[in-house]
Amino acid sequence: MRSKSCRLAALTAAVAAALVIASCGAEPAPRARGSATRVTERDFKISVPATLAAGKHVLAVWNKGPVDHELIVVRARDSHLPLRHDGLTVNEDAVEAATAGTLEPGLPGRTRELRVSLRPGRYEFFCNMTGHYLGGMHKEVVVR
Amino acid sequence: MRGGPAFSPFAARGRRAIGAILVTFALFSTLSVVLSIRATSRSKHRATVVEIAGRQRTLAERYVNEVMLVRQGRQADPRYTASLLTTSARVLLEGGEVPGVNGDDDETTISPASGSPVRAQLKQQRRLVADLTTAGTAMLAGDVRKRPSMTADERIAVSDPVRRLRVLAALTSNVSLNAARSMATRADRNITDLIRTQVALGIAGLLASLLLGWGLVGATRRQTAHFRSLVTSSTDLVLVFGARACRYVSHSVASMVGREEHDLLGQGIARFVHPDDQAFVQSASAQAEPHEVVFRMRNRFGEWRSLEAHVTDLRHDRLIRGIVLNARDVTERIRLEEELTHQAFHDGLTDLPNRALFRDRLDQALARSARSREVLAVLLIDLDGFKQVNDSLGHDAGDSLLKLVAERFCDVMRPSDTLARLGGDEFALLLEGANEQGAIGIARRLAERLSEPLNVAGREFALSASTGIVLHPGGAGSREELVRHADVAMYAAKEGGRARHEVFSYDMAREFGEVLGLEHELRLGLERREFSVHYQPEVSLDGAGIVGAEALLRWASPARGNVLPDRFIPVAEATGMILPLGEFVLREACTQAAEWRDAGVLPDPFVMWVNLSGKQLSAGGVSALVYRTLEETGLSPGSLGLEVTETAIVVEGPVGDRSRAELAELHDRGVRIAIDDFGTGVSSLGQLRRFPVDMIKVDRSFIQGVEHDAKDAAIAANIVSLAHALGLVAIAEGIESDGQLASMRALDCDFAQGFLFADPVPGEEMKKLFAVKDALDAPRAGAAAA
Repeated sequence: MRSKSCRLAALTAAVAAALVIASCGAEPAPRARGSATRVTERDFKISVPATLAAGKHVLAVWNKGPVDHELIVVRARDSHLPLRHDGLTVNEDAVEAATAGTLEPGLPGRTRELRVSLRPGRYEFFCNMTGHYLGGMHKEVVVR
Repeated sequence: MRGGPAFSPFAARGRRAIGAILVTFALFSTLSVVLSIRATSRSKHRATVVEIAGRQRTLAERYVNEVMLVRQGRQADPRYTASLLTTSARVLLEGGEVPGVNGDDDETTISPASGSPVRAQLKQQRRLVADLTTAGTAMLAGDVRKRPSMTADERIAVSDPVRRLRVLAALTSNVSLNAARSMATRADRNITDLIRTQVALGIAGLLASLLLGWGLVGATRRQTAHFRSLVTSSTDLVLVFGARACRYVSHSVASMVGREEHDLLGQGIARFVHPDDQAFVQSASAQAEPHEVVFRMRNRFGEWRSLEAHVTDLRHDRLIRGIVLNARDVTERIRLEEELTHQAFHDGLTDLPNRALFRDRLDQALARSARSREVLAVLLIDLDGFKQVNDSLGHDAGDSLLKLVAERFCDVMRPSDTLARLGGDEFALLLEGANEQGAIGIARRLAERLSEPLNVAGREFALSASTGIVLHPGGAGSREELVRHADVAMYAAKEGGRARHEVFSYDMAREFGEVLGLEHELRLGLERREFSVHYQPEVSLDGAGIVGAEALLRWASPARGNVLPDRFIPVAEATGMILPLGEFVLREACTQAAEWRDAGVLPDPFVMWVNLSGKQLSAGGVSALVYRTLEETGLSPGSLGLEVTETAIVVEGPVGDRSRAELAELHDRGVRIAIDDFGTGVSSLGQLRRFPVDMIKVDRSFIQGVEHDAKDAAIAANIVSLAHALGLVAIAEGIESDGQLASMRALDCDFAQGFLFADPVPGEEMKKLFAVKDALDAPRAGAAAA
């Protein structure tokens, strides 16, 4: 009799301990990053929400391809950015001061992150691969 | 134990393992090479594709320039470039023949693009090329206001057609570059994969080989252990000698010698081999061909054992580097062989050399003499009267006597001499370097030693010997001749009255040469049935006709013709052949007489007379022989008569006594006895009186002279009178003429025989003579006399 009750107690304790451990494991891990903003690039178009809140953003940049794309975020009054002498690409040096972030060319099918700090105002998101800007890969975003 | 074979030959196993290793290597190498070839060809293909994709960039830019040139009225062919662009874009995607640029003949066929990202980029390129060429064509057509519809996804916000065209070209260029880079990356990845695969293959191959090698080493180790246990557990002795010292001994050697194996290693050959055998073992080792040697080795008990070894020179064998002795202990076998050899060459009784060894020794002595011209002598010694000892005391006593005699002879001879027992009571002595005096001296000493009493079976014997001596003067000689001459000399000694020695001379050879030849022929003749018995009738002189017949031996020799008894009987007597011949005559005569009796032709009374030799008498056993023969033939004792010579019945000593006793016994049983050739010997009338005799034969020498010689006539008359006085019958033999017959009749002789009446005739003719009894009663000359 005595040994039986002892055993029951031990079993109860074990089950309780197991539950505690299990509940700890089930608890969702805290988010390491701030809210991500999805940016989708494809030939030859950039999809991004038209307006964003001012502040820090993590841009989840998904290149749908088929070719490589980059992403440059520039604070600009309008969508007419200065071009280089070739007349095909944006002169990045000229807009360097207004550049909020640059993501180097990436392979199609990948998603990369770009951290940007946006102030209220008008921003131009574009890809500066040869011909892509003029081919339609730019998008105006208003930050409030 | 597993079910597999207990032992599989190492060679097969090793070969299998090595084969497996080679096959594995070949497999992996082939795989590697095939992969490399495929990868190389694919790399080459990819390089071509990348080059073509890159070329599209240049073509797109050239197209724009050409369009511009045409618009400025300059010479250019944008259409061709456009077709190149379009075709290349299609071929890159779907595969096919790549068009050359600027008359480049190097046309290549490529396969369709693979991999979805690359294909997507190439599709985009094709669309862009289509848009570019459409825009260019529209521009050339001067229709610049109308914006051509775009197939790709570009949304070009430029209104200037030239810039639009340049943007399109830039996009085309960009997508081409992108595609080229993607394909190059893919090729790089393939090469990396290939390298990885090759490395994996290499490692797998290495591991497989290591495994197999490990298996091989294991198998080798097991085999080695197996062979080692075979060698060590074998009773065979294995020794390996290097240049100077022992390099290996098997366990069996160590246990035989009684030392640890490592104690023996490094020892010289002298440690193992008997000093006398070392030289030839070493010389045997120096020979290239494997062969057998027998040598002696001392065992742990210090006893020399004979080993038979198979010697193999493996000094040039990298694995052995030595001379291998594979030996077996053959001590027992050799001992047995030596024993057998000794038995084959020695007399079992006396342990003296036997006839075969004597021959061998004599041959060797003659060979030496042929070189050195040294003299030698051969003595042939025959014991006198040994047979009597054997007969009277039994063979055991005879054997003991022979042993004693052999010992005595050995005392006399020198160690260098060879004394042999040739058989029976015959000994031979070979004396090297002995001259006549020396040989005679030895013979005398032998006789002296022999004359000293010998004690056998509680009795004392004094023996004598007849010795024949032959001398070889040195130089070449024939063994057979020497022995034959010694034999002749020995016979001469026996004939000369025994207990003496004779040195061989050539006169003797002439006398005895034929004797020895005849002996052999007599023996053969008896076997070949060359002998027959003839019968000469004996007639009664008082007219009663045939009263008996004398059985006479006849020899029809194929080589000599009909040989007279006078010629061969002495030889038969000298050689002992008289015994079987005498027995033959007795049997034939008795059989014949019984046959005549059964046929009813036999007159009554009739006596069949058979001659009995002195030798037969002295040999003993005559009475037993006669009884046996009579019994077998069914003849009554009274129908048989035995003729003995005077000399035979006067022999002194126990032999003579026994002979007379036998004759007396036969006489008591009814057998008739006659004294043959009466008057020629040294007869003693006293003995004659005591001796049981029925008839006396008057010798033919007296008959021949009875007519004309008064002395002969007187002797003949006396013999007849004597016979009658003793109550005996007298018979005249050799009656050849009527005068002789008349004389003998006048002397009152009872019977007569001779060719006046009849020659000795075969049994068949005797039958006829029985039938014409009157004719014999009145013989050929009888009619004339009447």
